Amino acid sequence: MNRPDHSTFREWLNLDADGMLEREERARLEEHLAGCEECRREREELIAFEKLLERSALPVRSGFADAVMAALPPAGWEAQSPRTWRFPLAVAAMLMLVAGLMMVGSTSPSSAPSGLAALDAVGGMLRAATLAGAGLLGASWKGIGLIVEDVISSPVSLGAFGFLVLCLNLLLISLVRRRRPSAVSARGRRDAGGR
Amino acid sequence: MTRGTEQPTDEDLVAAVLGGDRDRFGDLIDRYQGRLVNYLFRLLRNADDAHDLAQEVLVKVYQVLDRYDPQYKFSTWLFRVAQNAAIDQIRRRRLKVVSLRQEDEEGEGRDWDLPSPERGPYGELRNRERGGAIQEAIDGLPWEYRELILLRHFGELPYEEIARLKQMPLGTVKNKLFRGRQMLKEKLKDFLSD
Repeated sequence: MNRPDHSTFREWLNLDADGMLEREERARLEEHLAGCEECRREREELIAFEKLLERSALPVRSGFADAVMAALPPAGWEAQSPRTWRFPLAVAAMLMLVAGLMMVGSTSPSSAPSGLAALDAVGGMLRAATLAGAGLLGASWKGIGLIVEDVISSPVSLGAFGFLVLCLNLLLISLVRRRRPSAVSARGRRDAGGR
Repeated sequence: MTRGTEQPTDEDLVAAVLGGDRDRFGDLIDRYQGRLVNYLFRLLRNADDAHDLAQEVLVKVYQVLDRYDPQYKFSTWLFRVAQNAAIDQIRRRRLKVVSLRQEDEEGEGRDWDLPSPERGPYGELRNRERGGAIQEAIDGLPWEYRELILLRHFGELPYEEIARLKQMPLGTVKNKLFRGRQMLKEKLKDFLSD
């Protein structure tokens, strides 16, 4: 590399102030500074300039970050986030548990016909419906009728069925629920104030 | 801002937010609010407008966070959105170039609220002079230098990010920043000895 001229050293001083100078260049700059009063003065001016701009910084309004967080509306991508799905998944797990409890309650000696028999009937119905093709819809209504009859015949099953309905409602609510922005921007507040 | 090595990167925080941890966006706000507000303040020349637009920019960025491409720096993306929003606002409002004063609702001029590191009557006066002189000097720069100076000194973006944001060669960024800074220094030389 050729020996840099004076204007190059002035550019290097700027780059050095921004941490953009290579080690070798920096060493050459320091060497030059040792013998150049003009460049030393230039460096001092640069430092003073940086401080001047720093001192002119505008302080951020108190509570700015909280206001922004409160004003965040629901974003489209949030519907796909794991946290959004956590509640529905928990409800779905609960539903499975309730279904298990229903089966246990239905198979107790006091209940008749048994839940297993009802499920078996549904299974048979589905098999028949698959085979029958066009008879699927009618067979489904028959199976649902059997299940409802089984559910209302036992207090335990009836309670569990009620809980199941409640959970389904919660699931539905969680899926359609949307958070509303709870704060308005400062401009909105000012506009509301009749500016 | 000084950062320890154990602190998550911007990209980590974005990934956490997209993963459902909404509070991590607060960390990003904490990280960028000062730079963003000051950058916008120097473009819009009004502290309230700068805060309002900074809020709008952050909300907008949050809403489209899933479109962020992690191969680029988050700060580059953020300041690109901020710059576009500021330019839109300047065009919309057709802001006049003012120097030290602005008019309030009653039509009275008032000085901007600039930070006051110096106390006492003389200190306050000197602060106002200095704040106004800095704004005037920045406003007096040709746009091609001003936008880079603002991104570097108030947005605190490194040269590489500025080059990417402005789609300029790195050498051009270095050259324009050097020349812009020389012009600013010349205009502010009376304040450099404070």
